[in-house]
Amino acid sequence: MSEDSLQASFDFFGLSHDASIDEVEKSFRELRNLYSEGSLATYSLLDDADRQEKLAALRKAYDRILQSYSHTPDSEVDPEREAGPFPAKSLIVNIDADLQQMPGLFLQQSRKALGLSLQDVAKRTKVRASILQDIEEQRFDFLPAPVYLRGFLREFARMVNVPDADALIDAFMARDKNDKERKID
Amino acid sequence: MTRPVPVEKPNIKPHVWAIGGGKGGVGKSALTTGIAMTLAGQGQRCVMIDADLGGANLHTFLGMSSPEHTISDLFRDPTKNLQDILLATPFENLGLISGARAMLNVANLKHFQKEKLIRQVFSLEADYIFIDLGAGSSFNVLDFFIAAHNGLMVVTPTPTSIENTYHFLRAAYFRKLRHVIRDLKVEALVDSSLDDKEKSGIRSPRDLVAELRRRDPSAGEEIDRAMMSFSPGLIVNQVQRHQDRNLGKEMALACKDFLGIDVTMAGSVRTDEQVLMALNSRRPTLSMFPQSNFAKDVRQIVQKLEW
Ligand SMILES: Nc1ncnc2c1ncn2[C@@H]1O[C@H](COP(=O)(O)OP(=O)(O)OP(=O)(O)O)[C@@H](O)[C@H]1O
Ligand SMILES: [Mg+2]
Repeated sequence: MSEDSLQASFDFFGLSHDASIDEVEKSFRELRNLYSEGSLATYSLLDDADRQEKLAALRKAYDRILQSYSHTPDSEVDPEREAGPFPAKSLIVNIDADLQQMPGLFLQQSRKALGLSLQDVAKRTKVRASILQDIEEQRFDFLPAPVYLRGFLREFARMVNVPDADALIDAFMARDKNDKERKID
Repeated sequence: MTRPVPVEKPNIKPHVWAIGGGKGGVGKSALTTGIAMTLAGQGQRCVMIDADLGGANLHTFLGMSSPEHTISDLFRDPTKNLQDILLATPFENLGLISGARAMLNVANLKHFQKEKLIRQVFSLEADYIFIDLGAGSSFNVLDFFIAAHNGLMVVTPTPTSIENTYHFLRAAYFRKLRHVIRDLKVEALVDSSLDDKEKSGIRSPRDLVAELRRRDPSAGEEIDRAMMSFSPGLIVNQVQRHQDRNLGKEMALACKDFLGIDVTMAGSVRTDEQVLMALNSRRPTLSMFPQSNFAKDVRQIVQKLEW
């Protein structure tokens, strides 16, 4: 993809090309709320087709920018990122969620069992806390494209000692797909 | 992007504000009173004009009984002007021009009556004038709104009020555009652009201006420049839920994004039962409950706006 489309993506968010990922993320969330079906602020202003069109364009611009951030040179990678999973703590929280049915909840319980906050995991995985939260809550509409999502899930699963990360990723992606198909019906 | 300096400068005396927003009962009169009282309290000479001729009630918000002189006097006796019917209020620096008992509605004002009224508003002796417009988007209401130096729209967090506000905003924008076009004598250009509306995909005010620019770059640019000064403020009133505190910001974003109109978020005002308590005691909320949420929110808006 060209630099042009990257610039256009920043323009979409009304941000300059040196905006931080936090700014992009914040703007993404604001716009997504604005274009979403329940949005009060755009009541009577957008019809369904407009919303879909806007959301698709938003998604595309966001993914384009995320992709550019994932190409940061190795030297900029935080050494902490390479750190292994957190050591197990006393299991105060039961992990009783069904990994197949509720992969997001399973991740959340695994995290809490280690006594970790979303920020703790975000710091180590370099995945934004808000995305981790969306993963835990299985808010599929809000999550990035599958190609990024898989990577995020793997990092998350690794950090919170999920024994079978592949099974979890597959379960999660299958849920995501179901959710999208339901929406289209 | 460098924005041209708006033609109107805030230091023009009197500085005229109009308060509108389409829907009835959203709090236009309550907020007009609150804002004017706050500025009057700071020593600015303010005049409130009740242009809601069908349902004038600003005097009630100020705790005054039925006024002796009202705008109707002007229509009965053409030698009278606005200054003659200016009423003193119980509050220092605050005057009122009442619209009570008017036999006609602003919507049915004759053209020359409206023009005369607008002219007189601008020659009143005051620092600030606040025109409370009443509900609706009729041409005469819109003409007062766009004649003012600044417009304020009041919206509540309800679908109906939001819908009316967008309708009002669009209508006011097109009304102003019409005036600009008339002044520039480019009516034919606009008519031909609108004739092919479907073909050129004109759906919003912004689309129209873009099409005009495409057809006639120099006229388009002048229109664009003149329309830049159309940038009303938005107040979200009767906020109760936490999530609605962001509504003004979101609506301003939506106005920019979908209509191409710059709207300034002026602030939010919480629902406050002391507003009704004060009204029932025939006293302004700001003087009876100066520490109420309503009073605090109004003061914050006054602080934020450019005077
Ligand atoms: N923030 C608030 N909290 C509680 N009550 C409010 C608030 N704002 C306005 N009100 C009440 O709502 C009612 C309608 O307000 P107001 O008369 O100012 O609306 P309006 O927009 O001027 O209506 P109209 O279009 O009929 O002129 C009044 O009783 C007023 O006291
Ligand atoms: Mg009113």
